[in-house]
Parts: sequence; C-alpha cells; structure tokens
Amino acid sequence: MELFFQQIVSGISIGAVYSLLAVGYALVYSVYNFTNWAFDAFMAFGAFMAFYAISLFFMPFWAAALISIVLTIVLSVGSERLAYRPLRLRKAPRLFMMISAMGANLMIVNLLNLIFGGSFRRFPVDAAKPFFIGNVSIGRMDLLAGAISFAILALLWWFLYRTKPGLGVRASSIDIMTASLMGVNNDAVAFIIFAVTGALSSVAGVFYGIKYAVFPYMGLVTIKAMIASIVGGLGSLPGAVVGSLILGVLETLVAGYISSTYRDLFSFLFLVIILLFFPNGLMGKSGDEKL
Amino acid sequence: MGYINAIIILGGINVIAALGVAILTGYTGLFSIGHAGFMALGGYMCAIMVMEFNVPFAIALLIGGTFAGLCSFIIGYPAFRSRLRGDYFAIATLGFSEAIRLVLNNTYEVVGGAFGYMGMSTLTTLPVILIAVALALYFAHMFVTSQYGKNCIAVSQDEVAAQMMGVNLLRTKLIALFISAFYAGVAGGLLGFYMAYLSPSFFSITRSSDLLAAVVFGGIQSLIGPFITAFVLIAVPELLRFFAEWRLVVYGLLFVVVMLFRPQGLLGYVEMNFAFARRWWSKLTAKKDTSAKGGAA
Repeated sequence: MELFFQQIVSGISIGAVYSLLAVGYALVYSVYNFTNWAFDAFMAFGAFMAFYAISLFFMPFWAAALISIVLTIVLSVGSERLAYRPLRLRKAPRLFMMISAMGANLMIVNLLNLIFGGSFRRFPVDAAKPFFIGNVSIGRMDLLAGAISFAILALLWWFLYRTKPGLGVRASSIDIMTASLMGVNNDAVAFIIFAVTGALSSVAGVFYGIKYAVFPYMGLVTIKAMIASIVGGLGSLPGAVVGSLILGVLETLVAGYISSTYRDLFSFLFLVIILLFFPNGLMGKSGDEKL
Repeated sequence: MGYINAIIILGGINVIAALGVAILTGYTGLFSIGHAGFMALGGYMCAIMVMEFNVPFAIALLIGGTFAGLCSFIIGYPAFRSRLRGDYFAIATLGFSEAIRLVLNNTYEVVGGAFGYMGMSTLTTLPVILIAVALALYFAHMFVTSQYGKNCIAVSQDEVAAQMMGVNLLRTKLIALFISAFYAGVAGGLLGFYMAYLSPSFFSITRSSDLLAAVVFGGIQSLIGPFITAFVLIAVPELLRFFAEWRLVVYGLLFVVVMLFRPQGLLGYVEMNFAFARRWWSKLTAKKDTSAKGGAA
C-alpha cells in the first residue's frame, strides 16, 4: 500500500511538470490554433542554461532558474518575432506555421547537441534525503516540483482571469480579429503568450532535468505534454492540467506495476483510446469547423 | 563505382519514402513527423517474409508495404475521426513511430531487439532500385491525377468546402495515409535488403525529419520537387562530409526561411509532366515514319 501511495505522489509530481508544458501548448493553441512545436527545444534550452549557470558559474539554484527563465523568454519571444509573426500577418495556412515551428525546433535542438554535446548530465542539485509521511517516502525535489508547478499554474490562472492583460488574452482566444477591433493589441498579446509559455517551458525543463537528466533531446518528453493536452482537449487550460495529472499518475503506475520499458507505449495507447471515445478530449470544445 | 552506386541506391530509397510523404503532406495537407515508423514496419515485415517464409523479394516488399498501410489505420482512424486538422495527427504519428521503435528495441524473440535483425542478403541492387523508383513515381503520378488525388487536393485546400462538394473526408484521408504508409513500408524493405540488416536505430526521428525536409524543400503539391530534393538531401551530406553533422541545424533554419520566403517550396504546384518527351517522340516518329513497335515509356 505504501508503494501505491508513493507512486501516486510521484505521478502527481511528474504530472505537474507535464501540466506546465501542456498549459503552454494549450495557451498557444487557444489563440493561434497551431501547436508550437518549438516548445521541446525551449524546454531543453532552459534546462541547459540552468545547468551551466550552476555548474560553470556556481550560482545558487534560484538564481540559475531565474536566468534560465529570462533567457528562455528571450528565445521564445524571439522565435515568435522571426518565425511565426510574418506568417501570421500574411495569414498563411496552418501547415506553414507548423513547418516553421518544426524548423525552429530542429535547429535549436541540434544546435544544443552540436555545441554542448549529446551526453546525459546529472543536474547538480542535492535531491537526496527524502522525507517520510508515515511510511511513504517523498523526494524533496518531487515535492518542490509539484508545489512550484501548482503555484505557477495558480499565478497563471490569476493573471488570465483577474487582470486586464489576461482579459485581452482570453478575448483573443475567442476571436483574435474581433479582439483587435475592440482595441486589444495583437502584438502585445503575442508577446505575453510567448513570454509566459517560454517561462513555463524553462521551469518544466529545469524540473525534468533534476528528475532525470539534462541532454539535448530531453524535449522529446513534450510528446507526453501534447498527449496530455489532447486528452484534456486542445486549447483548454483546465483540460491540460487534468490531462497531465491523469497521464502522470497513469505512467508511474504502469512503470511501477506493469513494465517500466513499455511505459511510453501505454501513454500512447491511452491517447488512441481517448481519441476513439472522446474525440474532442475530456474538456475540449467541439472541434468541428463551422462556416 | 560502388560508392556512386551506394549513393544512388540510398537516394532512391529516400525518394520512394519521400514520395509517400509528398502524397500525404504535399497533396492532402496532413503533416507527418513519424514516417520512419511505417518504414520500420514495412522493413521488418518484408525481412521476416523473405527470411522466415521464403517469399520472393518483390512480393515480400508488397506485403511489407501493405502491412505498414494497414497499421497506419491504427492512428489514422482515431485522429481523422476527431476532425481536428493536422495537430492531433502529427502528434499521433510521432508517438506511433516512437512506440514502434520502443517495441522493436525490446523484442528479442524474432526481430533481434536493439541488435537488429541480421543475416539478410543484399537483394536491393541498382537495377532493382531503378525499377522500384520508376514504378513508385508512375503510380504516385497516377494517384495524384486520379479522382482520389483530386479529392486529396480539395481536402488540403479547404476541408469544409471539400465536404460540401461531396468529398468523404475520413475516407480520402485514410486512403492517402494508406498509400503514403505503403510507400514508406516498401522503402523500409528496400533499405533492409540493401544494408543486409535492420536495426531500430535506422528509423529514428531524424529519418522522419529528413523525409519531411525533402517534401518541404521540394514543394507542396509536387512529386518531381520532392523527388529531386529527396535525392539531393541524401547525396549532399555524403559528398560533403563536414556538412553531415550540421545538416539538421541547416534543415531547421531552411524550414523557417522557406516558409517565410517561398512557402510553396522549390517546385511547389509544379506538376511532373512528360509532354515535352511526347513532343520529341512524335517529332522523331513523324520524321522516320516507322511503325514504332517498342512503344514509348
């Protein structure tokens, strides 16, 4: 029974990290109707920046995380300016946006690979000494990752639902043209969205790097976040969080009780099953296009 | 000579797989980043057919292709049924190919796990590859100019409008996916019997990116564009070795640049066409006035 609770706690913690990424996807998707494929590169970039800030410049953890967040925001907003905005202004088909994002991803990930090398690095943070509640041991980093992720999600909720710029973002997600006619600054919305998602991916990258390792292709885990955001319903923020938590718990349970090798296979099967029975995800709007 | 041979054969294999992606991405507007998975399915199936059941190579290739095509429905049906364009499907293809690699890497019984499937002979020779490429190009051309191909183009232009004109979206997409996966599967079979072994590492995400690159650079709604670029993208890293490791970085940059400045790609919307050849032929035959028994290709 202890094992079971331990799995659940660990699952919620990894689910919380997924949810940071999934919310990022959902945010971009809800406004621009395309999946930001470059997210996976941002995540790896964020993790690398924090890793080198600590191992080369001996910064404390919080300072390294802050630097990583700032640099990832610069990268995210920069890629929006260079790769997406010209296409958006030209009203290019979505396929082009996806290819452009894919290109940004391919370029950044492989640059990281060439510059820093493909080896796996252990994140230089002392994550030892789990503490116990009864007989259930909980990793300190697991707890920290879970707590900070939920705090960030709460902050994001507050920003989107209780502030004026947040209202602008929500208005744009309903209809970007109408919102801009009503005086919402489209470019400011784009800046906010890509800055927020950049910060989210950087935090997720740091926590994921601590839990597993830092390497250029670590961003491949964003497939899980995409699966989570589809399970929850593309474009729905609460859906993304719920989907991530379900997926995180499901994964750790599969790894614990069935097979850790085939863990990823189960996440993928889960996606197929969800798509078969809930074509719009658990909380998504109907995906049908209407005239 | 062997070196040139190798480039032509590997280029030809890449061309066949890229033609499949061209049908799916270029003509139907569906974005696949997991075609390496279909190549793996076709390749292993073909290898097993030849090695374990002594099926002739050509038939084994077709079986491998068909198997890959049928497996594509596992992701195609749920993703297309949900009617959200592109994104679901692209993620599903990526997940699918990674899942296949995971299973192949950990199944030691028949397919040899991470060591790969070994002991195959080299059946893919230059004449085989030339015939295969010619057939692949011919059938792809026939497909995209047929009614099915026109349906695909209609779907890529505007799904709602296509549906109003009576195009069955689900069926059209599934057909395009089947054919696309079939091509990838045949290419996988050819690759296995050229390398004389198959390893899950052949079918990594890098190969999917290579195929996608060929189609993006070659051009949307064109067969001849991806045909040329698929070949060039294999030949160039071979000839310029120093470029090999920077290849993916440059591809990534070019993806963005191409989308910004020439989104239709190198030969986008340019249809392959043999009208000039027919004109030459008719001129030749008119002058000599012989009964052309050989027949035009």
